[in-house]
Parts: sequence; C-alpha cells; structure tokens
Amino acid sequence: MTAPRKLSLSEWDNRYAELHRAGLREPAYGGPLRRHVEREQDFRLEQLQFDNSPAALRLWNFLLTENERLHQARARGEKIVGAMKDLGTIPVMAYALPGLRAFYPDGAWWTPCLMEGSDKLLQQAEALGIDASFCPVRAMLPAFQNGEHFPLPDLLLCSTGAVCDDFSAIAQRLEHLGHAIFWWEMPRRRQPAAGETACALAGNLTAPKSQVDCVRAELQRASGALGQLAGRELDAALLADGIRAANQVRRLLAELRQTVYAAPAAPLPALELLVAEMLALHFCSDREECIAVLEDLLAEARARRSRNQFVSGPEAVRIFWVNPVADLRAMNLLEDLGGRICGSDFMFTHALDLIPEDLPPLEALARTALADPMVGPASDRAARIVRECHANGAEAVVVSRIPGASHCAREGEIIRGSVRQTLNLPTIELEIPSVCDALQPALGSRLQALMETARARRTK
Amino acid sequence: MRVYLTSPWIPAEWVRAHGLEARGIWFADTFRQDTPPLAGGVCAFAESVVRLAEAQPDSAVVFTTACDQLRRGFDAATVCEPTRAFLFNLPATQTPAARQIFRAELARLGQFLVTLGGTAPTPEILRHEMAQSDEVRRRLRAAAPPAAARSYAESVARFHTDGSFAAPTVLDPSPAAPLALVGGPLGAKDWKLFDTMEAAGGRVVLNGTLTGERSLCPTFDGNAGWPPDSAAADHQSVGKPKPFDALAAGYIDNLVDVFQRPNTRFYAWLKPRLLDRHVRGIVLWHFTGCDLWRAEWQTLREVSGLPVLLLEADEAAGVSPRDANRLQAFVEMLTPA
Repeated sequence: MTAPRKLSLSEWDNRYAELHRAGLREPAYGGPLRRHVEREQDFRLEQLQFDNSPAALRLWNFLLTENERLHQARARGEKIVGAMKDLGTIPVMAYALPGLRAFYPDGAWWTPCLMEGSDKLLQQAEALGIDASFCPVRAMLPAFQNGEHFPLPDLLLCSTGAVCDDFSAIAQRLEHLGHAIFWWEMPRRRQPAAGETACALAGNLTAPKSQVDCVRAELQRASGALGQLAGRELDAALLADGIRAANQVRRLLAELRQTVYAAPAAPLPALELLVAEMLALHFCSDREECIAVLEDLLAEARARRSRNQFVSGPEAVRIFWVNPVADLRAMNLLEDLGGRICGSDFMFTHALDLIPEDLPPLEALARTALADPMVGPASDRAARIVRECHANGAEAVVVSRIPGASHCAREGEIIRGSVRQTLNLPTIELEIPSVCDALQPALGSRLQALMETARARRTK
Repeated sequence: MRVYLTSPWIPAEWVRAHGLEARGIWFADTFRQDTPPLAGGVCAFAESVVRLAEAQPDSAVVFTTACDQLRRGFDAATVCEPTRAFLFNLPATQTPAARQIFRAELARLGQFLVTLGGTAPTPEILRHEMAQSDEVRRRLRAAAPPAAARSYAESVARFHTDGSFAAPTVLDPSPAAPLALVGGPLGAKDWKLFDTMEAAGGRVVLNGTLTGERSLCPTFDGNAGWPPDSAAADHQSVGKPKPFDALAAGYIDNLVDVFQRPNTRFYAWLKPRLLDRHVRGIVLWHFTGCDLWRAEWQTLREVSGLPVLLLEADEAAGVSPRDANRLQAFVEMLTPA
C-alpha cells in the first residue's frame, strides 16, 4: 500500500505508469492526467498538487472528461439539460427522467483557471458586454457562443429572484443572445411571521409554508418542461426514485466529509475534497458513475484513517473555508502553508443535506431548494458556519471572495463578525482570482499570518 | 411615522392608506449625504439606504429584493439589532407564483405598517389613495414628452414624496441632441447631471431611470373595475376586483425593470419611446457594483441601435469632472456637423 502523498503532474506520469503496470483497472474515461493538458489545454494541472491514490485519479478524470462525456451522451441521443444557478435542485429532477442528462453551465467558471486563460473566455465575455466587474462565471457566456466546451443544452432552466445579481445578469445577457431560458422564481427565504404556518428545512432552518408552496409550484412548472423534453411525465414515483439516488450521493459525501474533516489530520487533500463536494450539484453529469467515484474516495479515506496515514501533519491548522475558489491552486497553497480544511461552505450546503424522503417528493425538493444558503439572510449562513466550526474544531476561518461577485460585498463581513463574536476565532477575507499566481505572495502572507495567529492561540 | 421606500414598485398608496407617510428615499434630505468611502464592491445607493436606516431610527425603511446589494444591505442593517426595516420580496418573474408572492408581500407589509402604528385601511380609504395616485401618475405620464428634464424629475420626485402633482415646465425648442437617460435610481443629489448634459449640448427627452418616467408605470386602468371613489354604491362593487387585488395587480402587472426575468418588458417600454422622441443617444446611469444595469449596456446598444454611454455613480453624489468630460464628448459625437 502506497503512503498518501501529494504529487505534481510530472510525478503522476510516473505514478500512472506504475499503477498501470500493476494492473490498474479504469473506467472508460480513465487515462493519465497528462492527456488533459495535451488535449484540452488544461495547463493549470501542471501547477497543482494531486493526491496519489487511484481514487483521486478517477475523481480527476471524471471531472476533466465531463464535456467529452456530455458530447457522447448527446451523440447517443440523450437530451441535455442546462441547469443554472439553483445548485443542486433541477438536476435531481432531470436525472429522474430516463434519457435526460443535466449539468451546470455555471461550471465554466473554472475553465479560465484550468486553461490558465489560454481559452480567452474572459476576454470574449468582455466583448459580449460582460466585463471584469462580474464574477468569473461570465466565462459561461462565450462558452455558449463558441460551442467549444459543453454541448448546447436542449433546455436551459435558471432560478431567479433571490439569487446573485452577477449570475442573473449574465444569464439574461445569454437570453438576449438567443438562448431561450426557462426562468423559475426563488423567493428570498425569511423566518415565518407570528401566525404563519412554518415548514422545517434542512440545516436547522424554517420558512413559511407559503414560500415552500411557491417554490413547489415553480418546480412543478419546471417538471412540466423537463417532462416535455423527456417525452414522459415526471411523476411522483419517478421523482421519489430520483431523490433516493441523489440522497445516495449526499450520504456518501456526508460520510466522506465526516471522515476527512473530523480526522486528527487530513486523510485526503483539500483540493480533492472540494472537487468531490462539487459532484453533489449535478453528479458531474453521470449519477451512477458519480456514486462509484465517491465510494472509491471514501474507501481510500477510511483506509488511510485506519492506518493513521495522512496528507497533512497533526499540527496543521484546522481551517473552515467559505466560498469556492476561482483558482484551484488556492487549496494547495493553504496546505503548503501548514493548514488543512476541517469544514467548508462552498455556497451549496443545501445540495449536501439529505432531501426528505418522508414527504411528497416535490414538496421535499422545494424545502431543500429553499434551504439554499444564498437565498436566505447572511445571518442564517453565518449561523451554520459557526455551528460547523464549533463541531469540527476549527481554529480559523477563511472567507474567500469571488472577484466581482455581488454577494461577496456584504456577506463576508457578516459571516466573519458572527464567527468572531460567537467563537472568537481569527478570520480573514481573501479575494482569489481565476489564476492567482501574481497574487500568491500576498495571499500566502495573509494565510501565513492567519496560521500563525491560530497556532499562537493553542499555547494560551 | 415616515416610511421610506427604496423602490417605486412598492405601493406608496398602501402606506398612505395605513395613515403613514410614504417617502421615496431618493429624495430625502439626508440621503447620499456624506457617504464615507465604501468597502470593495458595495453599491453606494444600497450603502446610503443602510445608513439612513441606521441614522433615522424613528422612521421605517422598506428595502426590496430587486437586487443583491439592497437585499444584503437589509441583512447588514438588521444583523446587530432589529431596526424599523422591512424587506419586500419583489419577484423577478411574471408567473402566477410571482403574482402570489407580490400579493402576500403586500399583505405582510400591511402587518408591518400596523406594528408601526398604522391602521389597516378600509376598502374606501384604499380606493381613495389609489384613485389619487393613479390620477397623478396619469398626468405625469402625459406631461413627460414635452417637459424639461430637471423640472420633470422634480415633479416625479414631488409625487414620490407626498403623492401630489406639480406641473413640470415645458422644454423650449432647441437644437440640442435628444438623449435618453436610463438606469438605476437618480436622486435629488444627482440632478446636476441634467445641467451637465445640457451644458454639453444635449437634452434629456426620456428619463427612464428608476426615479423618472418609468417609475410611473403602475396603473389601475387594466383593473378599473373597482369603483373610482368612496361614494360608489355596494352594488357597483359586485363582481369587481377588490381594491387590494387591484392594487397588487396594478403594480405587478405594470412593473418595468431590468431585474425582471426575462426583462423584455423593459425593452418593450423603452423602444417605442426612443423612436417617438427621436432619441440619438442613451446615457446608462448606474451605481458601481450594480451588475443588473451594467450587464444591460451591450443589450441596450443592440436593441436600440443607438450609442450608449455608461456613467457610473459612486459614493460622491453629482457628476465628476471626468464624467462631465465624457458626456461632452458623447454629445459632440451625436451632434451632426
């Protein structure tokens, strides 16, 4: 059994050859990581450190072949659904229908990072009227226009209302450019008033029944559009099956998070955990394979924990990380500087929570959608972060700002204020662009200062 | 009790019918006064709303969810201690669910107003307020095309301040380049923009900002089944919409803004006016950090076929020398040699 270690891409070339000689069996999308640089120009891989396990190899290959697999699905006659913004709701419905495959075009926000800007998507977005004052998700716009990344969806659905202005504005621009969008309303979640019937949501949240009813009605409309595309009604039985399958993914992720975050040191690196968590959103376009990928990762994490083998030392500072990073390299950087992740809120905690299976399926999905941390008050999000920091023994909190994202202007301070006031933990806010190399010294200094502060508090 | 509204899509009639004073926040004396340097990405308008809510605890402020900045501004204003602040969920779509949300929010706002000391209105009182504001809006809409820009802005402000009508002065015929001004809220502190545009050789013939002609779109004409005054006999009301329903429908069905999804209604409103008034260029006014308006820049150009100048407002009210210069160059470009 090979000890856990982080490898550069070059080191993975050798590791892959070694695994291959030893009889490594891979799924159809498998192969050496190097090929993603050569074929897809994913140059950022050359700057990243990867976990050395076959499970991690499978995870990366699964992630990096998504567009290719979507094109293959289209060629097989499957219908492609583009879900936008809701992060974890519409795909549960789409995958419940045979012949549909859903993905988030929003995911194109990582393309400028992976391709280190060689794709020029951000510049093309600017030419389409969306400049650098918007979040990197603007890369989605030219990706739709040039068709060089994901296949153009047969149906596009976008949640709107209490969502990020950046995304909503970019999606509207997309529609003006000729891509029809099915918009569905997401109200801003609020506490039930006195006398209002309350509904329990995931994450210790509640909302008025009237809001749940509204979301359910909107999801019913979306269900009609999906059913029409599939040529088959999305009835309660099908959706219930879809929810059970989604929950299988969510359970695996919950176990994986618990195994890694609660361990005395990290059995898997932060970067692989970030990618794994992202699979909750749309199962990276293949629900069954997603389950297999997560099972492998979980088995690896458990095995390492049982052998007391870790990728970080026990002295690593336990960091709770808020918001996804536009540059994946930031996760490596944190570990290089002596930190480890012990908890995360990558803006879609509602996609990690189990969807109730004891409620009518559409009602259950509506309640889960309404628990989205981004549609409610920042104080709700902060309260969950505080709870998880406390439960996982976080020593510091990093709020990672997304450049140009409208929600980041205010909520970071509210979250940090809550963390300071409740737990008295050190926190910092960092802005991480799509390729952070130029800022790495400054980012590193700030992260280092945070680690030092956290370590100094241990001795008190 | 004074209730500041941050959007013209919140019915001021509803507040007045509760016996409270409804005021458009854009025209408050202390609004956008001494806004300190802003944290990165924070919109100056939203920040000014938050500051006013904090500085005037005796008044109430109604925020809306129309944009992230205001929505999260409400979070910031209420995170430490409850203030007299209310967040009105303005739906983005035009679906049955959206209409239901608007109605429910209106009812919830009514409950909030009662907690402030207001009185739940009788149908007659509400009808009266609706009839009055409908009439003023109708007169202001009719007065728009020939009105002088600044005077018209003052008249609209008067309406959003006390609900009354003041006739705007009529624009003198002039060779100045006809311009449309569209975008977010343009408060009293920013009216200097009109003077700057005129000094540059342009004149605003269409004020499509949130606080201009566009804010006068709500109408109860389409729901005119409700009796026009309190003298209406009961039998006239049979089978007609109740005033509350007419109020909700009059707003949600006529709201014209770029936050709507899709925002086709905004362009359907804008296009014929650009043609009718022979507009030659558009000035897009938005606050720094306002993604919703900034993202429309290119679409505005494509839809209108006109040149569009993007003007960005920050914490300092008024027009910077740099923007005055840009305006001048823009107007020069539009003026035939």
